[in-house]
Amino acid sequence: MRSPVTNTVAQERIRRIEKLPFVAAGAPDATLLGGFWGGVRDVITHKSLLDLLIRRELKARYKDSSLGFVWSFIRPLTMLLIYYVAIGQFLGAARSVPQYAVFVYSGLTIWGLYNEIIASSTTSILANAGLIKKVYVPRELFPLASIGSALFNFGIQMIVLLAAIVVTGQFPLSWNLLYALAAIVVVVTYGIALALFLSAWNVYLRDIQYLVEVALLIFFWASPVVYAWTQVQTVAKNHAWIADVYLLNPMTNAILAFQKGMWEAGSKTNVLGLNAAGKPNVIKPVDWPAHLDFRLLVLFVIGLALIYVAQRVFSRLQGNFAQEI
Amino acid sequence: MTIATKVPVITLNEVSKRFIIRKEKSLKERLVNFGRSRKHKEDFWALDGIDLDIEAGTTVGLIGANGSGKSTLLKVIGGIIQPTRGVVRRRGQLAALLELGAGFHPDLTGRENVFLNGAILGLSQKQIEGYFDSIVAFSEIPDFIDTQVKFYSSGMYVRLAFAIAIHVDPDVLLVDEVLAVGDEPFQKKCLDKIKEFQQEGRTIVLVTHDLTTVQEMCDRTIVLSHGKVIFDGDAVEGVAALRANFATQ
Repeated sequence: MRSPVTNTVAQERIRRIEKLPFVAAGAPDATLLGGFWGGVRDVITHKSLLDLLIRRELKARYKDSSLGFVWSFIRPLTMLLIYYVAIGQFLGAARSVPQYAVFVYSGLTIWGLYNEIIASSTTSILANAGLIKKVYVPRELFPLASIGSALFNFGIQMIVLLAAIVVTGQFPLSWNLLYALAAIVVVVTYGIALALFLSAWNVYLRDIQYLVEVALLIFFWASPVVYAWTQVQTVAKNHAWIADVYLLNPMTNAILAFQKGMWEAGSKTNVLGLNAAGKPNVIKPVDWPAHLDFRLLVLFVIGLALIYVAQRVFSRLQGNFAQEI
Repeated sequence: MTIATKVPVITLNEVSKRFIIRKEKSLKERLVNFGRSRKHKEDFWALDGIDLDIEAGTTVGLIGANGSGKSTLLKVIGGIIQPTRGVVRRRGQLAALLELGAGFHPDLTGRENVFLNGAILGLSQKQIEGYFDSIVAFSEIPDFIDTQVKFYSSGMYVRLAFAIAIHVDPDVLLVDEVLAVGDEPFQKKCLDKIKEFQQEGRTIVLVTHDLTTVQEMCDRTIVLSHGKVIFDGDAVEGVAALRANFATQ
């Protein structure tokens, strides 16, 4: 048994503690509205940690490879090449889509952002099991860090895309660029909502991560990334409902808006060589969906509501993370 | 006791934690066992109605048999596990040393992990920069600080983790069986540091099976059995109570 605390350092510390208010240990209360803002505040007070976690994800990703960050370029460029050659040239999509390379790369860029957010955040809680079991930090930080690192990679791809656009000599300097910006906002909004929801759920049901892989594959082909919206309209000419259903997908709207912003050739009349009859192959400008701006606004508001719901679900599920992992 | 005993830093009010152990985790297993789900669930109370006040400046030893709920209690205090019922409240800066190398990323170097871990424990980047040399000096592994942590031995892990945790300037330090890993000189160094902490009026909650340490260092011992407090008081009597509990089982 040691001697009781008597010295002044100790007494000062204790006097200081005496004045501090008590706080509940762990995550903020699960009350409905207050809980959401509590969660947001918790994340904001830890934003320098979030920053470090994002850096860690980026640093650790290619840590032991000799090419390092070059890999973040190689993958999307390979995909571009594959789609450009296989779908554009062999399957002939490039004959009806002007500037097919720019078209497909803008689709791939925005889809890549979404894809990476969902895929990496779904496993983010499990991947950080070591931390979650041993210290308390707001658990929302882990999916958010995945989103941050996805945004960083998206930034790199944007540079490549812009470079490609400049090289092909058609910089889309117009108000349409705002569509691209709105598209990014919508993608990130849905990304946050799904990231919170899926990452938490995946702790309890490990199949989620495989289901997500399959779902992403389906949605990739259900969105106008490698084929054009015009081609969907052609198929759905006699069945308007097909196009309506197709447009229900938030990602379809975001991708179309992004293409409208980045792919200038789509909004003009183009002549692509000669058609089978020997006449000039005239491609009319894309008939973008009506009220695309309004659609994006509605999607954004729905996305915000989803973030709220997802955060509530997340905070209910996170209480047992430490023992379920 | 002195003034120290009057100021609680941690209060637990009717805290209970129920663990449900589902034996199946995949979709297939759940579908196959649908309806018979109850059979594949086991639940038990890891903590059962714990009421506790821990006063500032005291060193509390949590002891008990394996599976008695000590570590769960420590995690509930640390906010890592949310209790099923009841409230845990605390104040002051907290640092937790639970198991090995809490929160080290194996692919990052020791240096990068110091910054990450410091931030996790609530230090700002500037503070960590200020403490960095001192952290490395305490850990005694300057040659390995730029090596990836996955190549560290378990002793080196603990050295670095402990060095970071004591630089957080915690008011409350939670320690779970980590000191057993370091070699003897380092263990002694850690114990000396803990004694220094006691002199500075910090509160320490310690989970250990080393009953000698408990008797030497703790003002108070809490003996747990099946999630309940069966003894709360003086360290020497606490150890005796635990031994008596072992004998009855």
